[in-house]
Amino acid sequence: MKRHRLLIDRILVCIALLALWQLASWYFGVYWVSTPRLTIVKFYNSMMSGEMLRHAGYTIEEAFIGAVIGAVPAIILPFTLRRLPGWVSVIDPFMVGGYGAPKLALAPLFILWFGIGIESKIALVASVVFFIEYFSTLSGVRSLDAKLVQMAQLVGANERQVARHIVFPGAVPNIFAGLRIALPYGIGAAVIAELISSNRGLGYLVQIGAMNFDITQVFAAILGATFVVLAVGWFVDETEKFLLRWRPPADSLMEQIHT
Amino acid sequence: MTAPLLEIRNLGKRFASRQGREAATWVIQGLSFSVPDGEFLTIIGPSGSGKSTLLNMIAQIDVASDGEILFNGDNIGVLDQKSLKPGLDRRVGYVTQDDNLLPWRTTLDNVLFPLEVQGRLDDKARARAESLIKAVGLSGYEKYYPHELSGGMRKRTSLIRTLVYDPPVILMDEPFAAVDAQTRTQLQEDLLRLWEMGRKTIIFVTHDIAEAVALGDRTLVLTKQPTRIASEHKIPFGRPRNVKDIFALPGFAQVYESIRAEIQ
Repeated sequence: MKRHRLLIDRILVCIALLALWQLASWYFGVYWVSTPRLTIVKFYNSMMSGEMLRHAGYTIEEAFIGAVIGAVPAIILPFTLRRLPGWVSVIDPFMVGGYGAPKLALAPLFILWFGIGIESKIALVASVVFFIEYFSTLSGVRSLDAKLVQMAQLVGANERQVARHIVFPGAVPNIFAGLRIALPYGIGAAVIAELISSNRGLGYLVQIGAMNFDITQVFAAILGATFVVLAVGWFVDETEKFLLRWRPPADSLMEQIHT
Repeated sequence: MTAPLLEIRNLGKRFASRQGREAATWVIQGLSFSVPDGEFLTIIGPSGSGKSTLLNMIAQIDVASDGEILFNGDNIGVLDQKSLKPGLDRRVGYVTQDDNLLPWRTTLDNVLFPLEVQGRLDDKARARAESLIKAVGLSGYEKYYPHELSGGMRKRTSLIRTLVYDPPVILMDEPFAAVDAQTRTQLQEDLLRLWEMGRKTIIFVTHDIAEAVALGDRTLVLTKQPTRIASEHKIPFGRPRNVKDIFALPGFAQVYESIRAEIQ
């Protein structure tokens, strides 16, 4: 019953947004704001011809490799630093600086260094994902329950076992919280890098559309990028749900409050 | 007479005062007692009497400021933080007030945790874990996560997690303080039944006189700070005991009253 209600509400919001979009298109003219219908038809045709999937696949590849290169050291580093608490403070200002720096502005630099191929996009995605994931994992490692560590030591766990059985599982929620923010940013970074200089990818589609004053093409490519982000978000959520099935469901608590 | 399994000699604990202005105060000073192998010793004291600190020092998660702790005749009362060996190489088990279950592990996996990190996870160990789970009535809950268990069930899980790897000495720091009275009686019965099976040495700290009398072979009463032993009471009841009926036994009121007189 509740599920239906949610679905109906979502469809209503969707219709309202499409209506606003349509209104904007009428008001500003199709030349500037393409209509929903044209965009969806373009998207559909692009999907059917395989063009959209080919470019999306390219963007996903960049984002995936970049995310792995960025996230893996970002997750390992806080675990290593746990035993060297002094070093966390030493590198902290640099990490904060790296986190705060506008990494999208690095795109031209990476293109100069790594060329217009996949390498420059991977580098940009990695630099975006790394800092978000580092701080997220660090907060997980820091919020560790000292009593659980003590319990593990009492029953004979060594440092490595404490890290593996206590610190890591305890940090998994934070690792996922980081991924949920970092991955959409990473995909965005890949698209922007493609926009600046590339011959493939969703950003390239946007760029071609803009150069040809084909606004519908731009909209369709953005729609494609949105679907990619949604799909990745769904995948992260499902993986998290599986890995964190030990947690008391927060939803049930919320429902109890609301009913 | 054989040497005691555990002997505490002139144990002292002092916490450095803040800002170093006042002299450091002794929380525990000149505390001595010994525990023979297989004894169920209960320790009772007013709140803030350093009961947990005492257990922490025996379990080697806190340093002693003075005195000696002898385990099987070896002095283990080390005085610096770095050389602490929590759990004394698995010879001292510790059941704390909080259950400290790992929330991402099921009941069974929590119970198996010590065996897993000790590299002793074989079929025999699994069978032992299963029999302990059965003994405390947790059969059917092996695959449940801690948040799905009641407070009493979590306590039982944490209790058998310590029993499963069979440490010669088990410390218990008010393990049943946070549960309701009825559950507590059941937990006490479970504990005694499990203890009868192996007769490990147990040092059980509590602030509940009835609990100390019902469980122990002997009860030590602690003074206020600085803590030392105020008195020692032999509990005149045989084994096995029935926790529910212990109040009705002749002699209970007398022991109870004499202990209560010692605690202000």
